[in-house]
Amino acid sequence: MKAKDPNKINKTLEQLLLRDGMKTEEILLYFPVDLTKEGLFGEGFVVLTTDSLWIYEGQAEEHKVHDYKGYEAELSAEVWAETAEWELKKYTLTDLERLWIENGVGCNLLIAGTGEEEVCLAMFTHLYKRDASDLLKVFEQLKRGDEIRVPERKEERCPKCGRMYPDEVRKICPHCADRKSVLFRVMGYFKPYKVHFAVMFLCTLATAALNLVWPYLNGAVLYDKVLARNEEFLRQIGIENGDFVVALLMLVLTMAMTKITLLLLQIAQGVLTAKMVVNVVRDMKQSVFRNMARLSISFYRSRQTGGLMTRVMSDADRITGFFVDGAPYVLIHGFTIIVSVVVMFRINVVMTLVAIALFPVLVAVSMYLRPKIWIMYGRRHRAERSVNSTVNDNLSGSRVVKSFGQERRETERFTGSNARLRDAEIAIAYRQNYFQVVYGATQSFATLGVWIIGAYMILSGNTAGMDLGLLITFLSYVGQLEGPMNFFSRIHNWWADSMSSAQRIFEIIDAVPEVREAEHPVPLDAPEGDIVLENVTFGYEVNRPVLKDVSLHIPAGSMIGIVGRSGAGKTTLVNLISRMYDVQEGSIRIDGIDVKDLSFEQLRKNVAMVSQDTYIFMGTVAENIAYANPQASYKEIVQAAKLAGAHEFIMRMPDGYDTRIGASGRELSGGEKQRVSIARAILANPKILILDEATASVDTETERVIQKSIGYLVKGRTTISIAHRLSTLRDADYLVVIDNGRITERGTHEELHELKGTYYKLSELQTKALALKSEIF
Amino acid sequence: MSEEFQLSQMEQETDEMLRIRYLNKDNAVFKKTEGGFLSLKTEGEYYPRVQIVRMFPFMNTTELLSVRTTDERSKEIGIVEKLIDVTEETASLLEEQMNMHYFTPVITRILNIKDEYGYAYFHVETNHGPCRFTIQMGGNAVVHLSETRILIMDIDENRFEIPDIMKLTAGERKKLDLFL
Repeated sequence: MKAKDPNKINKTLEQLLLRDGMKTEEILLYFPVDLTKEGLFGEGFVVLTTDSLWIYEGQAEEHKVHDYKGYEAELSAEVWAETAEWELKKYTLTDLERLWIENGVGCNLLIAGTGEEEVCLAMFTHLYKRDASDLLKVFEQLKRGDEIRVPERKEERCPKCGRMYPDEVRKICPHCADRKSVLFRVMGYFKPYKVHFAVMFLCTLATAALNLVWPYLNGAVLYDKVLARNEEFLRQIGIENGDFVVALLMLVLTMAMTKITLLLLQIAQGVLTAKMVVNVVRDMKQSVFRNMARLSISFYRSRQTGGLMTRVMSDADRITGFFVDGAPYVLIHGFTIIVSVVVMFRINVVMTLVAIALFPVLVAVSMYLRPKIWIMYGRRHRAERSVNSTVNDNLSGSRVVKSFGQERRETERFTGSNARLRDAEIAIAYRQNYFQVVYGATQSFATLGVWIIGAYMILSGNTAGMDLGLLITFLSYVGQLEGPMNFFSRIHNWWADSMSSAQRIFEIIDAVPEVREAEHPVPLDAPEGDIVLENVTFGYEVNRPVLKDVSLHIPAGSMIGIVGRSGAGKTTLVNLISRMYDVQEGSIRIDGIDVKDLSFEQLRKNVAMVSQDTYIFMGTVAENIAYANPQASYKEIVQAAKLAGAHEFIMRMPDGYDTRIGASGRELSGGEKQRVSIARAILANPKILILDEATASVDTETERVIQKSIGYLVKGRTTISIAHRLSTLRDADYLVVIDNGRITERGTHEELHELKGTYYKLSELQTKALALKSEIF
Repeated sequence: MSEEFQLSQMEQETDEMLRIRYLNKDNAVFKKTEGGFLSLKTEGEYYPRVQIVRMFPFMNTTELLSVRTTDERSKEIGIVEKLIDVTEETASLLEEQMNMHYFTPVITRILNIKDEYGYAYFHVETNHGPCRFTIQMGGNAVVHLSETRILIMDIDENRFEIPDIMKLTAGERKKLDLFL
C-alpha cells in the first residue's frame, strides 16, 4: 500500500505513528497484517522507511469480521482501534541483512535474517501477500542502493461500492454488475432473428386470443344460444326462420376453424422456434469457443476443463430455452390471466371471487415446493456426474484396475454412486408427486366451489343470470388460468437460472487473456533467430519465482542445451520464449525485438515447440503432421515424417498416412506420438525450434535416428533443447545448467566437464549408470 | 580430489535420500530460537532453524511430521512419528511451529452465501472469529476431502474448512447446497 497520499493512510496506523513519533511522510511503503505470530487473527502493520522497518502487532478486537478479498468495503481499520494493545518492534535497515516471505498453507511469514539468525517478524494471510512482496522489492532496492521505485498497483477497487475486484485484470465487480445488462446482452444474440421473433410473438398472441374465444363457443354460445333456441341470437348472426340446425352447423364450423387455426399457429411456432433456437445456441457457443481459444494458458490452469465444457454446452441451451419457452409467454400468460379474470368478473362476481380465492394458495404452494425440487435436481445432476466420472475413471484406468485386481472394489464404488443417483431420482419423483397432488387438489377445490355456487344459482331460479352454458364457459376460464398460474409460479426460478447461466457464459466471453497481443506489432519478416533473455524473473504465483534473474544469449543458428533437475524451471524458460506466459521482470528479445511487440502469428510461426506432453488431434496421421502447415504437399509430409523417424511405424499401419489417430482412432504409443509431433515441428519449418524432452520416451535406437535428423534440422535455425539424458545434447554448441530457477553453469561440454559442478555430476552419474548396466548384461 | 571420491559422495547423498530417520526424545533436541523458530540438534548435526511439515495435513495432523531444512531446496532431516515420542515441552514447540505454517479457520456457522457473476460471497463464523471471503465458482474452490468434509479456497487461496457438513443446520446446508 502506498503512503504518498496522506489521506489514504490507515487511520489506526496514523494514530500509532503519531504516538511513537514518526511522520507519515517518512513512510515509503506499508502493509497491514492480519495474523499474530501465534497464528491467530490479529492486527498490525509493517512500515518501511528509508532507514528502518517498524512492526506493529496488536490483538484483534473481539467479534471483528475478518474480510478477505472481494469484501473490504470499509478498510479494515479505518477507525482507531482503541481496545487493542499495540506492540512495536523497531529494526534499522543496517541490522537487517535479508528479508523474505516464507509461504505457509493459508498464511505467510515475514522473516528477517542476520547471519545465521532468522527472526519471525510478522504473519499474514494471502490477502496481503502481494503488498508484502511489493515491500520486499523496495527493501531490496534500498539495500542495493538503487533508485527507489515503489511498484505501481492497479486500481483494485470497484469505484461504486469500494470492494476489491476479485480479478484485477477484468475489473468487474460482481456485486455491482448489472443484471439488466446481462439480459440485454443475451437479447443481442436474438437480434439477427428479430423477424422470426416478431412473427413468433404474433403467433403466440393469436393463440392466446383464440384460446380466450374458445370457452365462449363451447359454453355460452352452444348451450345458451343454440341449444336453448335463442331467436335473438339467430337474428344477430343473420339466420332467418329459426333454423337452429344451420346455426349449429355454423357454430361447429367456427369451432373447427378455431381449432385448426390454433393447430396451424402451433406448427408455425414450432418451426420458428426450432430455427431460431439452434441458431442462437450455435452463435453463443461460437463466441464462447472463440474467446476460449484466445485465452492464455493460465486460464486453463485455474479451471476444470469439465466445468468449461458444461458451460459451453449446456449453459447456452439453458439460456435460449428460457428465451424461447419462457420470455415470450410472460406477456401472453399475463394477458390471458388479466383478460380471463375480467371476463369472469363480467360473467359473475361471486363465482370469480370463489375461483381466485385459492390462487394465492396455489402460488404459495409452488413457491414453497419448487425451490426444494430445484435443489433436488441439482443433487441428481451431481449424482449423475459422479456416476459418469466413476465409469470414466474405470475405463481409462482399466489396466491399473485389472493389474491390481481391484475390480470388486471398483464395482462397489460404482454401486455406491449409483445408489446415490437412485435415491436422488426417488426423492425427485416423490416431491414431484407431492407437488402435483397438492396443486391438483387446490385446483379441484376451486373448481368444485365454482360448480356448487353455479349449480345453486341455476337451481335457485336464475336470479343471478346464470345458465348452464355460461357456467361451462366460466369453468373453462377457470381451467384456462391453471397453465399461466403454473407458469408464473416457476418463472422466477427459471429466470434466475438462465441469468446465472448467462453470467457464466459472459464470464468466459469477458475474460481477458493475460498474455495480450501488441496493438501495433513490430514486423519480423526475415527472422534470424537470435534470442536474448535479460534479467528474466517469472513465477506462476506471487512471491514464488520459478525463474530468478535469468540472462542468456542464444546466437542465431546455434544449438543450446538446457540441463537441470526436474522442477528447476527449464520448461518455464521455453514457455516464456514462445510467450505462453509473460515475464514478470526483465525482457525476452528475438532479433532485438521484445516478444511482447511481435504479433502472435509471426511469433508462433517462427517458434515451434516439441514438448514432453504431446497431443494428437482427431484426424489422420497426415493431418496431424500438417497441423501447423495445412498447405503442405503429401511429399513434404512424408519428408518430415522420415526426418522425424516416424515414417517406418506409419507405414506399418495398414492405412499408412491415412490412418485415423487421436481420440476416436488408433492409439499410438508414447514414442510414436512423440515422433509425430517432431514431424509436425519439422514441417512447421520454424526459425526457432524448441525441443522440450522431445526424445524422452523413444528407445535409444530411435533417438539416434531423431538425433541425426535433428542434425539436419538445426541447420540454419536456433535450437533450444531440454533433456535429462545428456547424450541427447551431444550436438549442442553450448550448455546451460539451471538450478532452482537460476543459471548456475554455462559453457561447452568440455568447459562444464572441467568445472566439475552439477553438469559433471550428472554426466558422471549417467556414464556410471550405463557402465553398471553393461556389467549386468 | 579424485573422481572416485566425488562419486562415493554422490552415492552417499542418494542413500541419504532413501533413508528414513525417526526423531524422538532420545536422539533429537529441539530448542526455541530468539527469532521465534526452532533449532534442532541430532546425531551430531546442528540446524539453526527447522520447519515442521505435516505429511497428512488433512487426515492426521499430529502424526508423521516431517522435520525439514528451510533453505530453497528444503530437505528432510527426519520424521517425528508421534508427538508422544518427544517430550511434552517439545511437542508443544512443534505444534507452535505448525500453527505458524498452517492457517485454516474452521467454519462453525454459515451466515450467508451469495453468488454473483461467477463468484460466491461467503459470510461465516469460524473458530477464529467471523470471516467474509470470496470464491470463484467455476474453478476448484471447493474440495471434497470426504463425503462430509470440505475445504474451501478463496480467490487468494486462503483456506477454510468444514469438518462435517452434517453438523451444520439444514438451513446452512441449503445455502451450501450449490457447492456440494
